[in-house]
Amino acid sequence: MNRKLMGAVVAAILAAAPALAEFPEKDLQGIVMWGAGGSTDTVMRSVTPHAEEVLGSDVIIQNMTGGVGAIATKYVFAQKPDGYTLLLGAENPQLYKVMGLGELDYSDFIPINVLARGVPVIVANNDAPFDTFTEMVDYVSAHPNEVKFGTTGPGGLPSTVTAMLSSKLELPVTEVPYDGDGPAITALQSGAIHVVPVVMGVAIEHVKAGRVKPIALIDVEPNPLMPDLPPITEEYPDFATYLPWGPFFGVFVKKGTPDEAVEKLKEAFAAGAENQEFKDLMAARGYSIMNISGDEAVQFLEKYQSVTSWLVHDAGIAKTSPEEFDIPRP
Amino acid sequence: MGPNNTRKPGEAIFALLLALLSLGALVKAYGISGFEGLSSPGAFPMAAAAVMLLSALVVTVNTLRASRDSDTEMFRDILPANAVMMAGLILLYAIALRPLGFLPTSLIFLFVSTLILAKRGVIFAAVVSVLSLAIIYIVFRLVFSVLMPEGVVPEREILAWIARLASGGAE
Amino acid sequence: MIDALQNLTIAWFDPSLLMLVALGTFAGIYVGAIPGLSVTMAVSILISFTFSWDVYEALSLMVGIYMGGVYGGSRTAILLNIPGAPSAIATALDGYPLAQKGLAGEAIGLSTTMSAVGGLLGILVLAFAAPAVSEFALTFQPRDYMLLAILGILLVGSLSGESLTKGIFAGALGLLIGTVGLDPLTAQERFTFGVVELWGGISFVAVMIGMFGVAEALIQLRELEMAAVKQTISRIVPRWSDVRKYLPLSLQTSAIGVLIGALPGTGGDIAALMAYDHAKRVTKDPDVPFGEGAKEGLVAPETANNAAIGGAFIPMITLGIPGDAVTAIIIGALFIHGLNPGPMLMIEKPDMFWFIVGALLLANVFMLIFGLTGIRIFTRIVEMPRAVLIPLILMLSIVGAFAVNNSITDVYWMLGFGILGYFMKLYGYQVGPVILGVILSRLIDENWRRAIISDQESLPRLFQGIVTSPLSLVLFIAVVLIFVSQTPLWAALMKPFRTKRTPPPDA
Repeated sequence: MNRKLMGAVVAAILAAAPALAEFPEKDLQGIVMWGAGGSTDTVMRSVTPHAEEVLGSDVIIQNMTGGVGAIATKYVFAQKPDGYTLLLGAENPQLYKVMGLGELDYSDFIPINVLARGVPVIVANNDAPFDTFTEMVDYVSAHPNEVKFGTTGPGGLPSTVTAMLSSKLELPVTEVPYDGDGPAITALQSGAIHVVPVVMGVAIEHVKAGRVKPIALIDVEPNPLMPDLPPITEEYPDFATYLPWGPFFGVFVKKGTPDEAVEKLKEAFAAGAENQEFKDLMAARGYSIMNISGDEAVQFLEKYQSVTSWLVHDAGIAKTSPEEFDIPRP
Repeated sequence: MGPNNTRKPGEAIFALLLALLSLGALVKAYGISGFEGLSSPGAFPMAAAAVMLLSALVVTVNTLRASRDSDTEMFRDILPANAVMMAGLILLYAIALRPLGFLPTSLIFLFVSTLILAKRGVIFAAVVSVLSLAIIYIVFRLVFSVLMPEGVVPEREILAWIARLASGGAE
Repeated sequence: MIDALQNLTIAWFDPSLLMLVALGTFAGIYVGAIPGLSVTMAVSILISFTFSWDVYEALSLMVGIYMGGVYGGSRTAILLNIPGAPSAIATALDGYPLAQKGLAGEAIGLSTTMSAVGGLLGILVLAFAAPAVSEFALTFQPRDYMLLAILGILLVGSLSGESLTKGIFAGALGLLIGTVGLDPLTAQERFTFGVVELWGGISFVAVMIGMFGVAEALIQLRELEMAAVKQTISRIVPRWSDVRKYLPLSLQTSAIGVLIGALPGTGGDIAALMAYDHAKRVTKDPDVPFGEGAKEGLVAPETANNAAIGGAFIPMITLGIPGDAVTAIIIGALFIHGLNPGPMLMIEKPDMFWFIVGALLLANVFMLIFGLTGIRIFTRIVEMPRAVLIPLILMLSIVGAFAVNNSITDVYWMLGFGILGYFMKLYGYQVGPVILGVILSRLIDENWRRAIISDQESLPRLFQGIVTSPLSLVLFIAVVLIFVSQTPLWAALMKPFRTKRTPPPDA
């Protein structure tokens, strides 16, 4: 009874509404897969206001944390593919399959925009008895299991970079797990760990202040923010097969979203990524703007998945082989 | 241990249930990683579950030894009609929240519960529930942008329509 | 120095900033008081909301909300026995009994004044000793966090009420609840039964709202017909003699608050509980026993949780390392406003530091003003008919549990823990230790594992590390002393001394 009444009221209101304009007709919902204040959250909250101007509607940002982002991914996938629910995510879903965290990844979504990519650096405690990557490798082989490496849960940047290193080098270290790269860089300064691979944005301010020392840049070319730090490929060209590699941030909608909505969203977030203010913010933190969508984005996502899945598989921390999911070896 | 030498109705069963729950948790915790090592993910849950089980067993034994408290009655003090009914109502509320949506479910819940508890008539209940729902909606949805489940009410369309009317009026 | 003073007073003399701090503090009190609204949530919404604002304006509002929100939690704790925020759990223990005696006005007045005292002390430490404190906080190793958390879990002894065994059960239950979900260190599933929605774990706010909100509402339903306690509001501003009497205690508890707040990963909630325990330990002869309305039990957590605010800002401003969840979000806000939070911030933009200190001081003053006025209206809440109040509390509980992580699963957990909490309360189990356990669970679990991994899985090496580090040794001795003092062994040892101390009957 009540329900019928409600329906009638709603129908009456809708009938009286001004002719419905094109997408978006109402506010959008943006689901951030990591917590408030984290890097994914801050990147998304700094790009959306610019996208909102193009859309002419608000994007209500909500954080839905847990399960390395799997809960948010599953939630967005469960919504209607109408373009009103955006997944504001990081690189994590590309590893869910091999990590046994479900069957979803970004191939179930349409990339609206892969906004930016981070560059990993390896930083060490100031008191550590080595100043360059080569010195570290020598020291580690001379003192097996004495050097403490900070890592995160499997699939996190520190654990993937460590896997990358151990795939080409003999590296007997003690891996001490942390919740994320923020807590890890704190622990680095307390001396609880000696070395940690993190994304440049997390380390940059601590490096500038001289509280930690950078010892390797995991990239193929030098970075303007740390011009004195040689890329790892200079001394270890083997790593070039994996690089450039780095965590990324992107905006996604579920597959099956109407083209009209997808195009509008692409236009909006491309404008957001183009915005000078946003570009400056990202540059200051060492993120490279990508601003790609469509096939280009799909290719990027697939390459990331293939490199990373096989790395964690070869390091022995994957639950299922990438072969099972037809993920090609890089 | 503990000064209560009497037990309330149902207390022994509750203590037993807690002990069973602890046992289940211990088994489950062992299943995480067995006795793999001091740093395994299952080590701490197992320790916690073991402490639960141990203390729950002590409580159960003490409760069973205590004499029955003759001053409390099951249906007057432990499960009074009001509490059972409200527990049932919030359960229904939680179940209906997603399919039906926040606004209608809350309105019905507030109306029914105020009607039954306050015994002050339909009008009182209606006024109180509409007013309090309006305040909560304004605070949570409009000020803090908490999107509650929409259910059958297309809230965002209505808000967009109002916004368009308002902006249209301003132009 | 002149520069510092100038920056310190920016917010004091700019009318619009002044208004924003006032508005933030006022809103914060309500955000804190409503169990489903948290400061963390409010501040993260403000990030988007203040995107296009000037950074000073955005910070003014956030600092106000933070200060007001931490304080506001005590309101509902005292009036309804439902803590509005986790940092007010300890406040309910003695605050609610005071309200039941009709002394809600006095209790709120005292908690307001003492929150301001604690807040002020926290800010002073921030202003004058920030670099030293943050360097000290950085010396904490995983084993030290583990010992600190064990020290915390021993508080079960003070929170257990009539039966220690039941308290231990409740604490262990809390620890177990805290482990549900994907293990943050290995992504291993723990107690998830294959349900994806459980991967994120059980939100501890959901547990808190259930056990305190729903359980308490159901308990109070049993006394529906009972007339509400008439509140006498003759005295709100506490007596000067009272303030002086509690000053030594509040200095100690503020110190606890600042330090716990400054440690990355621990915040006002743990600080308040530890301070409560400390008060219980050092107060030899309270006028009223703890748990029945001891004012010391109100003073301790309220000073500590507000002092923890200054503490949490210490590593945030000096090093860009968040001291708690709220400062983590404020770091994000600074970043969005084009600043680079980190160790260079103090050097490149010292004005930010002094501006935040000034805004905090201002918020502290507004908290005192808003806290001491309008109590009359607030206490009306308790005098509202329960038949209207209880459905409202139940609905707020549901909305609040949902809002934490926009998850309906949290609502179901909240209800489940509400029912469990109802029976626990009826049968003499305290729910405080459960929350304590949930808060400390990850801290113990993760740091235990980090510590033992760092020492190559060897217990002797871990122990050697503890006795050779002064900090670890102090924490370890504290753990042992507190543990022994709560077991029968101690009572036996102290018996000959205790009989002498029994006060003679009134002459």
